[in-house]
Amino acid sequence: MKYVFLAVSSFLAIVAQMIAGNNFFLFNFLDLSLILISYWAVYRSRTQALFVGSLTGFLLDAAMGWPLGYNGFGRTLAAFAIGQSWKRFNTREPWVRFAIIAASSCLSSLSMFILFRLMQRTTSKIFLGASIMQALITAGISVALFAGLETYKRIQTNKAH
Amino acid sequence: MSSDLSSRVNKERSVVVMVSLLILQLALLSLQIENPSGILLFKSWTLAVQTPLIAVSSGVVGGIQRIWRSYFWMVGARAENEQLKENIRRLSLLNNSYEQMRQENIRLRRLLDIGNPIPFKSVGSRVVARTPSFLSNIIYINCGSADGVHIDAPVLSGDGIIGRTILVAKHQSQVQLITNPDASMGVIIERTRTPGVLRGSGDILLDLTYIGNAEQVDVGDVVLSSGLDGIYPKGLAIGKVVNSQKGKSVFRNIKVEPGVDLIRLEEVSVLLMNSPVEPPGF
Repeated sequence: MKYVFLAVSSFLAIVAQMIAGNNFFLFNFLDLSLILISYWAVYRSRTQALFVGSLTGFLLDAAMGWPLGYNGFGRTLAAFAIGQSWKRFNTREPWVRFAIIAASSCLSSLSMFILFRLMQRTTSKIFLGASIMQALITAGISVALFAGLETYKRIQTNKAH
Repeated sequence: MSSDLSSRVNKERSVVVMVSLLILQLALLSLQIENPSGILLFKSWTLAVQTPLIAVSSGVVGGIQRIWRSYFWMVGARAENEQLKENIRRLSLLNNSYEQMRQENIRLRRLLDIGNPIPFKSVGSRVVARTPSFLSNIIYINCGSADGVHIDAPVLSGDGIIGRTILVAKHQSQVQLITNPDASMGVIIERTRTPGVLRGSGDILLDLTYIGNAEQVDVGDVVLSSGLDGIYPKGLAIGKVVNSQKGKSVFRNIKVEPGVDLIRLEEVSVLLMNSPVEPPGF
């Protein structure tokens, strides 16, 4: 069941990203799949987050018509970076969370950029700039979402007591 | 203590899973993407990994051979040296006469408008490795795209055709020998000008196919390239017929022995089909 949820949530994140990005241009700067990967790495299992990263990457590549592997590679790295960093730093501080997610998103984009060069494919000059923008916006939204989620959980726990 | 251990195990598991997934993505990518010369990156990377290994092993073997030849084969070198000097004197005289004949031949060819039988530049190369089997059908040579070699370039030795390049890296190429089961070429019988198709069989002998039972093909007939396959130039020697029998179907069963000893190849020549030789002057 856990793996079905993993697959379905990955699929939905990509579909939502595509529909939203198609209708509202600014949504292209929000990486829903990275938020999902972050959620999985922080609140569930770090190992499973790697699979979520790979799967969302595959789905994204398939959706974009790219050779399978570009996004999967970047997102697997991002999942690993978030999972490992979250335990090492004081993630109670929102700015630390912001920095971890933004840095992981940049790492994902940078690895894809390097892969593009390595595979002798042409790269757009605006890719890295747009990726930094995307990393900042995604990190900001993720921090807000996670804060809301933790507040909700705290209220539920208090009610139970 | 137990929490530390559990955390460490989790971390190691994450690293293993991550590395496996990254390798999987890279392998997938390399199987989908071709480099500018149309070769899958997977093949290109494999060759790139092999190249230094082959170069090192070739260097080590070459070094051992040099030491052996330099120190242990020196016995009797003086007498041999005298003999060789005498041979050089004799061959120089012979060479002068051959040079005269060659010049005469060039002039006559131009008069007859026959042209050079191999009107392409070539690059010399050394065999650095071969696939590990007794009758190996793939060899590696130490010249590549940096020397102007392309895929499907004919590879020759002094005694005839050896095969063609099927994979070209910057400084190394993979050559499919004519004995390879995937190799075939258009040929003609020199004596009767009968056309046919020569195929590798994986064995040391080649199969000459599509020659009708009514055709006269005898043991000892020389087989030449016909040039119709678009890879090998016309008129290059390939081998001799060693067995010719009427077949059960409409075609003869003919076996051809290559003129080149493919097991003991050391130096070869690669034709650069994109670089024609300029016509010789008088």
